[in-house]
Amino acid sequence: MASLVLKALALLTALAAPAAGDVAYVTCQNGGALSVIGLATGAEVSRWPVPGKPAGVAVSAGAVFAVSPDSKTVRRFDPHGALQAEVVLDGGPIGVAHDAGRGRLFISDWYNARIWVLDDADLSIEAELTNGAAPAGLAVSPDGRFVASADRDADQVSIFDAARLALLHRVTVGSRPFGLRFAPDGRLFVGNVGSNDVSVVDPAKGRVTATVPVGEHPYGIAFAADRAFVSNQYENTVSVLALETLAEVARVEVGEYPEGIDDTADGSAIVVVNWFDNTLTIIDAQTLSVLHTMDTGEGPRAFGEFLLGGSI
Amino acid sequence: MRAKFLMVLAALLLLPALALGHGPTRQKVTLTAEVAAEPDAVWAVVGNFDDMSWHPAVFQTDGDGGNAIDATRLLTLGAVDGPTIAEVLYKYSAQKMSYSYRITAVEVAVLPVTNYSSHLTVKPREGGGALIEWRGAFYRGYPNNDPPEDQNDAAAVAAVTGVYQMGLDALVEQFGKPGS
Repeated sequence: MASLVLKALALLTALAAPAAGDVAYVTCQNGGALSVIGLATGAEVSRWPVPGKPAGVAVSAGAVFAVSPDSKTVRRFDPHGALQAEVVLDGGPIGVAHDAGRGRLFISDWYNARIWVLDDADLSIEAELTNGAAPAGLAVSPDGRFVASADRDADQVSIFDAARLALLHRVTVGSRPFGLRFAPDGRLFVGNVGSNDVSVVDPAKGRVTATVPVGEHPYGIAFAADRAFVSNQYENTVSVLALETLAEVARVEVGEYPEGIDDTADGSAIVVVNWFDNTLTIIDAQTLSVLHTMDTGEGPRAFGEFLLGGSI
Repeated sequence: MRAKFLMVLAALLLLPALALGHGPTRQKVTLTAEVAAEPDAVWAVVGNFDDMSWHPAVFQTDGDGGNAIDATRLLTLGAVDGPTIAEVLYKYSAQKMSYSYRITAVEVAVLPVTNYSSHLTVKPREGGGALIEWRGAFYRGYPNNDPPEDQNDAAAVAAVTGVYQMGLDALVEQFGKPGS
């Protein structure tokens, strides 16, 4: 009996643990700030002023990158908010992905069909990649082989060799791809805001292997518990797809204008920010129930990978 | 004749571009008004997507599809030959007294926004009467970098705020301020 109680207790602790150490770094575009939120406590730990209407974000151990399109500024902070480097990029910087292994930061230029490749320490420009029109979302594959961009106004994704910075494929996807991310199994998932579906791409072959209908205006994609989670911006929902079958298994109600979405380090929970409501929603990746809703700054975008495991 | 044809052709070619790029920062506006009438009475006036006659700026509403999802309406502003705004309904709940719609076509000179979506909701007011909430999300009219002043973020917010304020003021006029 005692052992049963202990087991139940352990289970409860495990259930409470989701997201225990994770910290959300939420770019709040309209408020010109970055909200730092401890998911375990539900408290906003701090709010950093980030001028220039920040949207894009990428976090890695020891670094938080934020992209402010209005002032065309990319900044690197340490996890406590100390500014370590900043650069003004002449164009329309918006999306960001970090290749921590090679010390590179990729930034999309919404207005000039290119990607800047920056040194991730001092943010100096190392290279530029030519792209399709209006590149937005960027992602680096889990194995570090590929970097991909969603070229919104070209209805395509561009896939580059991340080591050689060489173009491998331009792949026509659905209408107006904006957000994209690599699944743990290596497939590239692309949200098409114009056609309300997700294109699944084999990045090595440069081919669309499936197109899956989701909700209205799919924006961001994250993965946990062998599922893909897609934020449907115009529908206030998150579509949940089984990675194996690509069937939609559920549609979870969240706040208004859900945008940036990411998974906790332990894979137990999904966090999505709600732009209109100034909140974030935590979803249990297994049960698909909403665990918590927390306040953020004004106009959260969190466009990129914004969760960092461990506490600060 | 040929020149006119070419002009039309050029205009048609330009059309897809209107649906493409947008500014970097989406804007939002929320305005509310409190009225003396109960929600049902207010909803009876504002709750039909194909009838926007409650708004003083709207001269005529040509609706197609009633309150069904994907219903459309063409608003003619000011006068019979006034500028138009084309909109589509994408969410509707009589029970929640709320609907959501998007602009599908408007000249930037008429309303300096792109990618505009909006929600209108009627709720009960604490202490009696109704609360009307009108929310919009949109990008500025100028899709490219470094916008001119009349098409920047502030111009877009000011224009939408003006439209909402005018409509809500008319509803307060019609239904009266809640008694204190």
